[in-house]
Amino acid sequence: MTGSKLRSFFGGRNGGQAISPQEISKVAPTRDERLFLVLSIFIGVISGLLVVSFQVAIDWIKILTLGSAPHAGQYRLLFVPAIAGLLVAAMVLWFFPAARGSGVNQTKAAFYIYNGYISFRTVVGKFITSALALGAGQSLGPEDPSLQIGAGVASIIARKLGLSKQKLRVFAPIGAAAGLAAAFNAPISAILFVIEEVIGQWSASVLGSIVLAAISSVVVERRFMGAEPRFRIPAVTLRDNRELVAYAILGVIGGVIAFGFSQALGYLRPKLRAMPRWTHYLQPAVAGLLVGVFGFFGFPQVMGVGYEIMDQAMHGQFAWKFLFALAIFKLIATTLSFSSGTPGGMFAPTMFIGAMLGAGVGSFEKIFFPHLAGTVGSYALVGMGVLFAGFLRAPLTSVFMVLELSGNYSIILPVILANTIAYLIGRALQPVPIFEVFTHQDGLDLPSLEEQREETPLHIEDAVQPLSVPVVRGVDTIAQVSSAVAEARVSAFLIQMPDTSWYAMTVDELTAAGAALTPETPVEKAVKADRVPMLFPDLPLDSTLPCFPRWPLLPVLNRASRGTLEGIITLNGVLKRYQSV
Amino acid sequence: MDVFEVHPPLTAEERAEKRKLIVRDFIALFTLTLITVMIGVLTYFLFASFARHRDVLARRWRAVGERELSRGHPDQAINALRSALQYAPGQRDLEVELAMALAADNRDLEATAYFNSLLETQPGNGMIHLQLARLAAKQGNAELAEEHYQRALDGTWVRNGYLERLSVRLELAGYLISRKDYGRAQTELRTASSNALNMPEKQIEIAGLMEQAQDPTDALEIYRAQMRHRGSSIEAYVGAGRTAYALGQIELANQALERAVSRPDFANLSDADRKYVDQLLSDSGRILELYPDPNLSVRARAERIANDINIARARLTACFASANASGEMADLQGQWQKIPARLSVRMLERDPQLEQTTMSLVYETEEQTAQVCGAPTGDDALLLKIAQAPQAVQQQ
Repeated sequence: MTGSKLRSFFGGRNGGQAISPQEISKVAPTRDERLFLVLSIFIGVISGLLVVSFQVAIDWIKILTLGSAPHAGQYRLLFVPAIAGLLVAAMVLWFFPAARGSGVNQTKAAFYIYNGYISFRTVVGKFITSALALGAGQSLGPEDPSLQIGAGVASIIARKLGLSKQKLRVFAPIGAAAGLAAAFNAPISAILFVIEEVIGQWSASVLGSIVLAAISSVVVERRFMGAEPRFRIPAVTLRDNRELVAYAILGVIGGVIAFGFSQALGYLRPKLRAMPRWTHYLQPAVAGLLVGVFGFFGFPQVMGVGYEIMDQAMHGQFAWKFLFALAIFKLIATTLSFSSGTPGGMFAPTMFIGAMLGAGVGSFEKIFFPHLAGTVGSYALVGMGVLFAGFLRAPLTSVFMVLELSGNYSIILPVILANTIAYLIGRALQPVPIFEVFTHQDGLDLPSLEEQREETPLHIEDAVQPLSVPVVRGVDTIAQVSSAVAEARVSAFLIQMPDTSWYAMTVDELTAAGAALTPETPVEKAVKADRVPMLFPDLPLDSTLPCFPRWPLLPVLNRASRGTLEGIITLNGVLKRYQSV
Repeated sequence: MDVFEVHPPLTAEERAEKRKLIVRDFIALFTLTLITVMIGVLTYFLFASFARHRDVLARRWRAVGERELSRGHPDQAINALRSALQYAPGQRDLEVELAMALAADNRDLEATAYFNSLLETQPGNGMIHLQLARLAAKQGNAELAEEHYQRALDGTWVRNGYLERLSVRLELAGYLISRKDYGRAQTELRTASSNALNMPEKQIEIAGLMEQAQDPTDALEIYRAQMRHRGSSIEAYVGAGRTAYALGQIELANQALERAVSRPDFANLSDADRKYVDQLLSDSGRILELYPDPNLSVRARAERIANDINIARARLTACFASANASGEMADLQGQWQKIPARLSVRMLERDPQLEQTTMSLVYETEEQTAQVCGAPTGDDALLLKIAQAPQAVQQQ
């Protein structure tokens, strides 16, 4: 099938010349909703396939370049990452500039700034450059690129089908969840991460599609890779409650290391970016060379993605001193690789460092307090979550990630304890989350999702005022009402209609009614057809704002007894409440 | 969207547009399906080729690891086995081999951590407990070593559990012997012996360990039992001779050793072993020549005693003259002076009481001179051997 035919099948950009989005919304107003769910499955399946190909490509490149068993002392460890760094830098700078970096911020930017637009070139570039960099030993992870590849697939499909701008925008996070779910082999964590870090809020309208896409991609990924979790999880136990002390210490260490990691990246990345452009061609190569030096001189484990090393650490294959050394060298290697602009993600290195720290603490405890320590694997798992919470600052995802990977809820207490400590320490030491730091360094201004999470939205009850206007019944005569209003000296008042609905009338309206009708006429005959909306104290305060152009004040009702007034709110009162925040 | 929302009826042109849109969406979804299938097929072939290559790599590195381990290069085996595990994660036997390679490379902490971790997934695995016991023993943690040995005995074994447990028990006994805990070692060996009734080779091994555990009596029992078996090995005869000799049962030792040297497989023993057996046979034979056997004729017995007296007297004289032994041996000298200087065979023949007294003096002389003047050699040494258990010499 030729490109032009394909374009015509998909209707070209934004629906092509045939039908404009406005026309589509007129002739088929429910089309987008119907396509939405079907396309979510397609996005999930294609993302899953691409992520599997991406991971296989990384493994193939690794075997072809570093050999099937890279170990210290091999000279290829020195030059392969450096040469690959040169190639990757050239490709990024000449052909795929948007492939630089992890992919999370780019997806967020697509969602918030570019109406969900991620180009086909970016997807291709991310796939090729990340696979080459990771396969050749750069210390980065495949999850964030997978997230961006998924988001890109979703964006391309939504564009080609000519969906509305609003739908186009939300497709990027759907694809992101699908890509991440396939990379993680953990759909719940992926969904939570996208909600926690990309969208920033729970939205029922996209949740269904996100779940559908994530599940579809994981089904595809498991069809190839097997249903087993990413890591072989050993028996996870909490043997003794005193172990919680060790987990708390792990949380503290994780929080401090997360801070150090953030500081290192926050310092080095802008420094390297500010250097002359010609150095950008060399930076990934130099980073690759330094990572290769670590590998050559005894730490080949820090090269590449490192899933198998995490697995080995989880199964107690390393001594505690070596585990701590691996954590430190991985931190340095990742800082170098990422700051140099090499495409690749932060998830795997974060989990790697956390797993090494956790396994180190577990192994140490096993030697010095043998009857206290549970399994080393438990500590490694909790360690992963700790760094995730402290460094990436996704506390909810960090907890569910560990639970989903281990499939064991008995570990929840240590996970929550350690993750909370790491998160709080990370926040206290580094108030701005790392992805936001990168955003600012890139000159973008995306919403701070951590702040959004912690914002307390105002509710009507926060602005409700005691009843200070007359409340009359609809059957009362205009004369009676006029007398009550004159006595109260107010500009508006409330009328309770016989059908229990409410009407807020201004004095002007009453005066006009008095001129047109007799004084004995019930006031209900003078009101217009509409009624004030039913407002309750727990509703969001901003939901009242659209009502004020029409109504001078709004009654707040009791949910248990609609006839009972809780008070009233006025535009002035609402504005004052917002100003006092 | 409100389901009751009323839309104005579509014009004929709009209806045509809608039909066109439906057709276009259908074609788009169909094309998307084709693209999905195409990507799926490509992914399948990419993945399948990688999976095949991964299996090949796993097998190749495993073979390298096992070869290096058998060649005594555990450091290289570790790298190879780690690589094999990378391509075949979760293979239990590979993991165990890697842990054993770590232990062989003296990376005890790593090996212990790894075995502990393997144990967590298979808590009752006898083989892993055995490896942990060996590591603990190597690290001098006797309590932990014995605990793991015990758990290895109680644990599960994949194949030949009966034989594996027997081997573990023997290893535990060996460990206890090395710690000079002979009592517990003997207990384990007795249990092992009763568990290995129809296993001649194991019985020989157990008997050897019993000798090391200072239990030659039980060891001799086992060797003798094995000698009675058809097709018994040379080790049974040599062991019986050795242990019988150690117990002073010289006649029995002599018989066993004679049978040993007459066996065709005697030639299969090492030179040192053959020399040892020959020496033991010669000594036992000479002891039997020196021993005043009650079953001999009166004359022959008297002659032997006279000969023994001469040997002991010479030993005493030499010892007395050699060192400052006069004070310590004055009493013994006094006893010899009570013996007639010209003691004849005839006198001994006539007086059984004299025979007994003089032989007692011979034994006492050999024992005391050994203490004062050092270990004797030649016939003196053999007389001393008899002196340690005269009644045992002909004991069967």
